[in-house]
Amino acid sequence: MSKLVLSGLTKRYGSHAAVDTLDLTVESGHLVSLLGPSGCGKTTTLRLVSGFAVPDGGSISVAGQVVSSARGVVPPEKREMSMIFQSYALWPHLTVAENVAYGLKLRKLPRADIERRVQAMLDTMQLRRFEARYPAELSGGQQQRVGLARALVVEPKILLLDEPLSNLDASLREEMRHEIRRLHDRFHYTTIYVTHDQAEAMTTSDLIAVMRDGKIEQAGAPDDIYERPETEFVARFIGSTNILRGRRVGEHEADCDGLRLVCESGHWPEDGSAVVSIRPHRITLSGAADGSAPGTVERAIYLGAQRHYIVALDAGPKLQVLASSDVLAHEGERVGLTLPPAHCRALIR
Amino acid sequence: MSLALNTTRRLRLGHVDLSLIPLGLAGLFLAMLVLLPLGWLLAYTVTDESGALSWTNVVELADTSLFLEPFITTFGIALGVASLACLLAVPLAWLVARTDVPARRLLRGLVMVSFITPPFIGAVAWVLLAAPNSGLLNQYYRGITGAGTFDYLFNIFSAAGIIFVMASYAFPYVFVLAANTLDRMPHDLEEASAILGGGRWHTFRRVTLPMVLPALLAGFIIAFLQAMTQFGTPAILALPAGFHVLTTKIWSLFQFPPKAHLAAACAMPLLLVTIFLLRLEKTLLGRRGYTMVGGKSGSPQLAKLGVWRWPALLLALLLLFVTVLLPNLVLVRASMLRSVSDPWTLETITWANVPLVFGLSNTVGVLKNTLVTGVVSATLGTAFAVLIAYLTARRAVPGHQVLGFLATAPAAIPGIVLGVALFIAYTRPPFQLYGTLWILLLAFLTIEMPPAYQQMQAAFRGLNPELEDASRILGAGRMKSLAKVVAPLLKTSVAATWCFVFIGAIRELSATILLTTSNTKLVSVLIYDLNEGGALGGIAVLGLVLMAVTAVVVLIANRVAHVGVMPDGR
Ligand SMILES: Nc1ncnc2c1ncn2[C@@H]1O[C@H](COP(=O)(O)OP(=O)(O)OP(=O)(O)O)[C@@H](O)[C@H]1O
Ligand SMILES: [Mg+2]
Repeated sequence: MSKLVLSGLTKRYGSHAAVDTLDLTVESGHLVSLLGPSGCGKTTTLRLVSGFAVPDGGSISVAGQVVSSARGVVPPEKREMSMIFQSYALWPHLTVAENVAYGLKLRKLPRADIERRVQAMLDTMQLRRFEARYPAELSGGQQQRVGLARALVVEPKILLLDEPLSNLDASLREEMRHEIRRLHDRFHYTTIYVTHDQAEAMTTSDLIAVMRDGKIEQAGAPDDIYERPETEFVARFIGSTNILRGRRVGEHEADCDGLRLVCESGHWPEDGSAVVSIRPHRITLSGAADGSAPGTVERAIYLGAQRHYIVALDAGPKLQVLASSDVLAHEGERVGLTLPPAHCRALIR
Repeated sequence: MSLALNTTRRLRLGHVDLSLIPLGLAGLFLAMLVLLPLGWLLAYTVTDESGALSWTNVVELADTSLFLEPFITTFGIALGVASLACLLAVPLAWLVARTDVPARRLLRGLVMVSFITPPFIGAVAWVLLAAPNSGLLNQYYRGITGAGTFDYLFNIFSAAGIIFVMASYAFPYVFVLAANTLDRMPHDLEEASAILGGGRWHTFRRVTLPMVLPALLAGFIIAFLQAMTQFGTPAILALPAGFHVLTTKIWSLFQFPPKAHLAAACAMPLLLVTIFLLRLEKTLLGRRGYTMVGGKSGSPQLAKLGVWRWPALLLALLLLFVTVLLPNLVLVRASMLRSVSDPWTLETITWANVPLVFGLSNTVGVLKNTLVTGVVSATLGTAFAVLIAYLTARRAVPGHQVLGFLATAPAAIPGIVLGVALFIAYTRPPFQLYGTLWILLLAFLTIEMPPAYQQMQAAFRGLNPELEDASRILGAGRMKSLAKVVAPLLKTSVAATWCFVFIGAIRELSATILLTTSNTKLVSVLIYDLNEGGALGGIAVLGLVLMAVTAVVVLIANRVAHVGVMPDGR
């Protein structure tokens, strides 16, 4: 398999750097998500990896061999990669089977071989029934599966997916998410998966790289990113969270508008300020007498399995709290919150 | 696993991207196609016979009979044509687009038929109809009124005659522009004005007119340009009347002994005025395209004509009968008669003209030349249009903007100017092409490049580039992706473009007239020669053949492309 290394990768459009000295290593056979808001450079990164764009700086290497640098690139057709496009990019003048067979025909395999591999792939994708149809005669999900089949049948060294599910409806997206992970577990292609949906990234990836303004802000395993964010941007982007700002007052302690918080993990900014993240479901809500932080319930929303509260603390800040649906409190009621030090995390910015 | 070749070799390969070479060559060829002739034209303008830098050409041009008179005549005629064309086209466009006049589709269809007739054949038809002595209309006039042998009602060999004939072939272009604008104009604005109490006239003057005015001015400019740059019609009608326009003057400078330097200088003003007017037109039309025929959106509120419906229809039909049907009818008549002055009865009908025409020593060769240059320029022209449009639409090479400019630039070069430029550029080493079909091929490629390129450019814009990327990442190179994915998806546009270029090539006269020799004659020039020899029956046969071929190709193109394709006016 092929290890993919991007180092110091830079691509400028005019004076604006769409990708800015980006470093990323994708271990052979791993699936890495590039996660980030619109315009942060995800597609540009994929186009650099696939050879459609020439970098202005840095390099890309596959299995130890440089394939892109500012001096030149191996053209896309020679990279033995496959790509799934946001628009699917199925060829409307070819049938499903012809779409899938295209890459194999280019490889000049024997006809019987092509036939066998196309059929096997169509079976895997449950597309057998549609093989003679044209793309326009398929549903969105079926089209997406044809795109996957077409990309996978050539057994690429590296698979690139650009927001492959963004055009699907919610339930289909959920289903395809698991499908993609299942296929990856089966074929183990080195994969970069671009998305701006954190749930998608969590379910599919071995590693999540959160991008911001052309740079990788933080990369790590899904639980790593979720439980141990380094920055406010990452903490907010992956799941919802409470961010509290204040001053650092001790080795592990912050003062946020009079609320004292002990953080067992994280890193502190150099300048003595403090940014603390605590996930809503990590906060315990109890009677007014208990808990370290007294406050008043401002809003109570019933979500079925959980209850969502917004609590205005006496000390000042407002916090979001997710509690089990057994924990009942009414709007206006006095409550006490417990903010466990194990789940308070200090962020660098 | 690792990539098959070592890194350094890979990188170098990637750096050059071999598939860019044919694309680059196409670009280079395009540059040569446009820049080389124009460069020579400029060089000849400012040099004398010995090649020394001099203003003698310009000085000689200032001589009134050589330049000033034809220039003024040309301007006057072009103004007349543009005004008359607008006067005919705009009311007709309003009738079919905005009123409940009956048979609107038929009226539109009849206007389209007029595109089938090359203007110079129309001019011959009008000679048959309205020459002072032999013209049919004048014969009828004498027959009915008993006027004397030399009396006539119409004289087509006059400035007025030229204006009329040119306007009847220019007004369809104005019509298409005006009708499309009226079709697409949001009606709610007009309705809003009506609701606010604006009378019909007030609404027209304050709302409709300002919205249509840019298209109208653009139509005026198009008609003006056609009249100014056409060679065939004035050559057939003005020369017998004893005066010159600029195009015929340039042509006469090529009669033996050819004065190429003077002709180049004479062509310059034509080129400059054209460039200026096209810029003006572009500004007027803005970014909107008015080239598509058909494609109406919504159903406009049609003005009720009441009792005037039928008189309006009659008037429109009369106009179209005179400008479109009558000339074609008289061609059919002439093709069947031994002498054009014979009455048209069952006894006098004959096929004699057909063997007569095809019996001429060179007719078969001429038809073969026409077909060959038509097919080859259509094929090469379309291929180039596809390549250039690909390069610019995909921004595939640095400098693609220059390519786009070069591909559209020939639109500003009148046919006869291009003829002069090509003559100069290719009568010398290393490209001694004068006297071969190659020079005609170059002319047609240049003339047809702008419309062909624009059609393909629009087609590429409608094609998601990811379709092509998907092919490349799976292992197909640029050229292979172009052939296997892009070409099949664009085949209808490609076919339509091919037809367009083919039609343009087989009916071109303005540039061809300067570039043919006796061995490389084309149908258009043969028709012109036959006219000089007075063989009108033969012209009629050839003209009808040319029009039939055009009609068939237009029908095919419209069938495959589902968009309006109309032949070019030159
Ligand atoms: N061809 C181009 N020319 C100029 N600027 C570009 C080009 N392609 C991308 N950009 C700019 O580079 C930045 C990154 O674009 P990119 O398409 O990589 O974003 P993205 O992360 O894929 O966003 P999205 O989630 O919306 O797809 C954007 O600011 C974009 O405007
Ligand atoms: Mg993107």
